[in-house]
Amino acid sequence: MTGRELHWNKGASETQVRIEESGGHGIFHIGEQAIPFVVRGQGWLEVNGRNIRYYVHRDRNEYSIWIDGRTYRLTRIQKGAHALEQAGGASGEVRALMPGKVLRVEVAVGDTVKERQPVVIMESMKMESSLPAPKAGAVIAIECAPGQIVEMGTLLVTIE
Amino acid sequence: MIRKVLAANRGEIAIRIFTTLREMGIHTVAVYTDPDAHALHVRSADESIRIESYLQPDEIVSAARQAGADAIHPGYGFLSENTSLSTACEAAGITFIGPRTDTIRRMGDKLESKRLMEKAGVPVVPSWDRNPHDSEFPVLVKAVGGGGGKGMRLVEEPSQLAEAKAAASREAGKAFGDDRVFVEKYVRNPRHIEFQILGDAHGNAVHVFERECSIQRRHQKVIEETPSPALTPGLRARMGDAAVAAAKAVGYVNAGTVEFIVGPDGRFYFLEMNTRLQVEHPVTEMTTGLDLVREQIRIAEGNPLSFTQSDLRQTGHSIECRIYAEVPEEQFRPDIGTVAVYRPPSGAGVRLDSGIEENSEVGFHYDPMLAKLVVWAGSRSQAIHKMQRALSEFVLLGVRNNIDFLHRVISHPEFGEGKIDTHFLERHSALLRPATEEVPVEALLAASLSSARTPAVTGSATAAFTDVWTSGPWRIS
Repeated sequence: MTGRELHWNKGASETQVRIEESGGHGIFHIGEQAIPFVVRGQGWLEVNGRNIRYYVHRDRNEYSIWIDGRTYRLTRIQKGAHALEQAGGASGEVRALMPGKVLRVEVAVGDTVKERQPVVIMESMKMESSLPAPKAGAVIAIECAPGQIVEMGTLLVTIE
Repeated sequence: MIRKVLAANRGEIAIRIFTTLREMGIHTVAVYTDPDAHALHVRSADESIRIESYLQPDEIVSAARQAGADAIHPGYGFLSENTSLSTACEAAGITFIGPRTDTIRRMGDKLESKRLMEKAGVPVVPSWDRNPHDSEFPVLVKAVGGGGGKGMRLVEEPSQLAEAKAAASREAGKAFGDDRVFVEKYVRNPRHIEFQILGDAHGNAVHVFERECSIQRRHQKVIEETPSPALTPGLRARMGDAAVAAAKAVGYVNAGTVEFIVGPDGRFYFLEMNTRLQVEHPVTEMTTGLDLVREQIRIAEGNPLSFTQSDLRQTGHSIECRIYAEVPEEQFRPDIGTVAVYRPPSGAGVRLDSGIEENSEVGFHYDPMLAKLVVWAGSRSQAIHKMQRALSEFVLLGVRNNIDFLHRVISHPEFGEGKIDTHFLERHSALLRPATEEVPVEALLAASLSSARTPAVTGSATAAFTDVWTSGPWRIS
């Protein structure tokens, strides 16, 4: 038996699981449950006598799992490394929500902004959208310029 | 006779046009821009020619000349409703597969088209060039040259009008090269029901029944069907007559669509005429047996319609779901990426008009619609069951998409009862998210097995990995 422990983030909650497996037969430990499974082939499991067809796509630590007509998303937490994966969050960072083009920057460094005040206007797929200030404060940095093509998550403006 | 056609478009519609052309023994030419260099539509044509932009009519006409094409099919969007392409075709002696330039111009001007329809006795929604009286609110700001929800804003208060007009004007200028906007009366809780029309160069015009397009998000259609659950035979006949009157008022030649809004009281108003093939045309094809692209080509060749109104019948029920690369849970933001896993559904009564395949790149340059899933069955409830089955078999990983969302919408009891209008999704905003965030144990197991197989990836954003065929580290092959 090989054993392996993994941590998954599904929505807000963290789940720890353990897999033990040998020769295609194994036991999946989740919470108090120990679920026997059989690896029947590629993308094919048997759990409790039921066939499971599935597909998994992985992009870094983000997993999409298609199973039984639905797609689920899970984030794998690599212990020690996961702090790097955290997004801007409740800080004063305004980041691109989608890839696209910066149309206008509505503020200048030193400006005082209110919470929800539009600071950057972006265009993606020919649609305009405005990115609001996440909190009230002063603009301390502008990291983008009109016309610039940015990736999702790019830091555009910082408010302090 | 048309022998070679250039499709001035991309994605699923270019491919759908090629399909009919091949059936008719007509050679096919694709055009593509740099971001589309490896796109499926390029490889689906006999020949392909690189262009700078799908919005440059001169470039498209030169490409047609270079390929020796005798006709251009514009598809929808891009230059399909822009007189610059049809005019350039005329000048070059190339057949434009669509209505006459004069029709496109008059119907593309939403104010003129309404004036014309009013004169022809077709009921219209009130609208204003300038600012309406305060008592007329809420109103819609719309692009004079537009469609597809771009350059459109709902305005509840007179004080918000100026800002909405400025934003709509900017969006319209970018999308259509025409920044003019106008203001229109807003009918609450309307249904959006449109009629397919066909007209030939010999003065014949018919309607090919309705399409119910009420399920919309951000003023863009998501699910369409025919017949509409809202129409009685009497109302269908009256609206059909109005659609034919609209076609005849402009001497319409080729395929077009007359859009109406229908209030809860059953009153209907002309909204606009779309002088092109619609995205949702397949539901009409499924229920009538017509191939609308074939009819377009025959009409463009100068043939009279091969049927009359009384020859046309609606049989069974058809539903279309638009598959978008977008995240419904996050205000329908578009997503990009590589299509890592693609297993589309099939089977009797299932049609897929797709612009992608496995390994296709989905970028942010163009519209996020990837494909259209269309079903046909004998009744509406059977069609819903077939669509549920087809959506639940559709595997599409690597680019986030609306497949699960579409399944929730068509499974909603009120959709099943046909209680739909254009605010359906606002009213049922709970549908934007799954009913439960619960991830089944089997999904965790599948993910855990596939993660066990590969080492942790800590590299760049491009380090994507697809594990379609998962096996554990214990399996040595």
